[in-house]
Amino acid sequence: MNVVYFIFQQTMYFMIPLMIVALGAMFSERSGIINIALEGIMTMGAFTGVLFLSLTGGNFSGQGQLLIAAVISMATGMVFSLFHAYASINMKSDQVISGTALNMFAPAFAIFVARVIQGVQQVPFSNTFRIVSVPVLGKIPFLGPLLFQNAYITTYIGIAIFVLSYVVLYKTRFGLRLRSCGEHPQAADAAGINVYRMQYAGVLISGALGGLGGLVFVVPTSTNFNADVAGYGFLALAVLIFGQWKPVNIMFASLFFGLMKAVASAYSGIPFLHDLGIPSYFYKMVPYIITLIVLIFTSRNSQAPKAEGIPYDKGQR
Amino acid sequence: MKKRALALAMAVLMTATLSACGSSKPGTAATTAAPAETTTAAESKGDTSKKTDSSTGYEIALVTDLGTIDDKSFNQGAWEGLKKYAEEKGISYKYYQPQEGTTDSYLETIGLAVEGGAKLVVCPGFLFEEPVFLAQDQYKDVHFILLDGEPHNADYSEKRIEKNVMPILFQEDEPGFLAGYAAVKDGNTKLGFLGGMAVPAVVRFGYGFAEGADYAAKELGIDNIEIMYNYTGAFAATPEAQSMAASWFQNGTQAIFGCGGAVGNSVMAAAEEKGGKMIGVDVDQSFESPSVITSAMKQLSVSVYDGVKAHFDDKFPGGKTSIFSAKNDGIGLPMDTSKFTKFTKEDYDKIYKELKDGKVTLVQPSQDNNNPTVDLKLEKTTIKFVE
Repeated sequence: MNVVYFIFQQTMYFMIPLMIVALGAMFSERSGIINIALEGIMTMGAFTGVLFLSLTGGNFSGQGQLLIAAVISMATGMVFSLFHAYASINMKSDQVISGTALNMFAPAFAIFVARVIQGVQQVPFSNTFRIVSVPVLGKIPFLGPLLFQNAYITTYIGIAIFVLSYVVLYKTRFGLRLRSCGEHPQAADAAGINVYRMQYAGVLISGALGGLGGLVFVVPTSTNFNADVAGYGFLALAVLIFGQWKPVNIMFASLFFGLMKAVASAYSGIPFLHDLGIPSYFYKMVPYIITLIVLIFTSRNSQAPKAEGIPYDKGQR
Repeated sequence: MKKRALALAMAVLMTATLSACGSSKPGTAATTAAPAETTTAAESKGDTSKKTDSSTGYEIALVTDLGTIDDKSFNQGAWEGLKKYAEEKGISYKYYQPQEGTTDSYLETIGLAVEGGAKLVVCPGFLFEEPVFLAQDQYKDVHFILLDGEPHNADYSEKRIEKNVMPILFQEDEPGFLAGYAAVKDGNTKLGFLGGMAVPAVVRFGYGFAEGADYAAKELGIDNIEIMYNYTGAFAATPEAQSMAASWFQNGTQAIFGCGGAVGNSVMAAAEEKGGKMIGVDVDQSFESPSVITSAMKQLSVSVYDGVKAHFDDKFPGGKTSIFSAKNDGIGLPMDTSKFTKFTKEDYDKIYKELKDGKVTLVQPSQDNNNPTVDLKLEKTTIKFVE
């Protein structure tokens, strides 16, 4: 049983950042703007968040510090995504190119600023945020060890973001308008919706969630930040496509990716799986192979927003 | 249209992934190529920018490999040794960062350093074997210190060390041995080795670690030592590395030797979470996490310092490889910062002396193999090699 809890807890470390970032990407793409700058946004968000943890390290600790860092990461992500929004909405540039530019800019910027501030590029932090067991909830049989032990507060934030995303996208006026801009912006405009404002909102939300995802990614897995999020921004895009741009599907897709990643890296410490003798390459391959298969079967009726990637031009018919 | 856009997005995404892999390198190279240019610019104008001695340029130079001078490993260790000597004697010094990790680029950067007035060039890392092989003939008046390698040509058909080259090799298996020995002597029976890429230095560390554990087991008369053993294939901190380390700790592993740059940071994160112990590598890593019980150190800065000193004392030991091992105190554990409970300084001095006197023979990895279960014949230890 311990093994099950352990794997599930590890899965969370992979899943939560993937889900947060993929949900962010969903908001951007449903508004019609492709955002492949997620890797860069994650890097920037993680950088400022961890820098805050590092600078306030000596005299501040615990959940409060992490929450403030999370807010800082989100703000950074939003500011950084503004570049993408301006280029792709106002200047009608190719969205893929502006996203790529941000991806290349982010690590260089993080290294440069880290060097200027503290002399070395790695930003160290001390992790005081792990919750060994949530009071009361941690004692619930089965569910307690599964969800409320060895967890981070960011896990619950991630779950809250998931619920909120669903409600916002499907149950609010804003969500409906956002979706309409991604499907047929001309029609949305004719109905009196400010398309530019909706697209700005979509990109900014993706920036905020991307930045938060970066911080959530780094905190449990290292003791310093080295201007790198190991390609998880791109992986989040795969999760988004696998999840067919829908919040619930994205949640399950990230759970699946997270579980496979956790098993692939942790199987050697689990006697049962180790004795099966299946090489780790197999587990590492599975999520990607399944993504490919899913893409093949869904390509005919892909749920991608129809106006995605096309700069909105008011004059066009 | 939408499908085409998607296809385009995926295509660019792939290239972006590739370029993202390399982006940090050109990114930082661009920033450091600038000072390199200012050197030559300052040279021609006779300007005094930052250098201490404007008439002869920068007398000692360091050319970095893929890492940077603050990588907490090779480049940093070499840079510190060079800096220490230079600052003691008031000699001008400077580092150069190649644009990319190719022989041509390394050679070009060495040329830049020589043009900038360098009489001694320090090249850290085995990637410099070829560039130095070519440079030793090209710049006969310049001395080279080559860390972790010996000069040879591209296809290994010719190995030659000229009088102006001092290759430095470390017996990494010895600090690995000490770490493994100390860990078992300190009461641990289930250990782990999480390496980076399986480059020769990492493999030697791993082999030594396993043999050290076995040696201690024989002394203590216990025969249930278990070592989990894996090369992650990269030198980065990832959730994968953290997960693997955490799963080992979960399964009862007591101490993990994190041997591969930032992989160690992931091991530390896992150790903090699971209350496990971590063993650092290359330099004393005790200040990075409370979970670090000791570090298998190479005295990088000492070796470079000695080399630079020899150059200025006109005793440059060129033409032959200098090996740093226990014999010349080139390796060791930082006993002052180690957090052992049973393993004492006396124990350490005793085993160090045995190593020094050659009473312990360590097995070297055979050609094209990095799997310790193939090479090592351990009596009291079982290695679980994780592919």
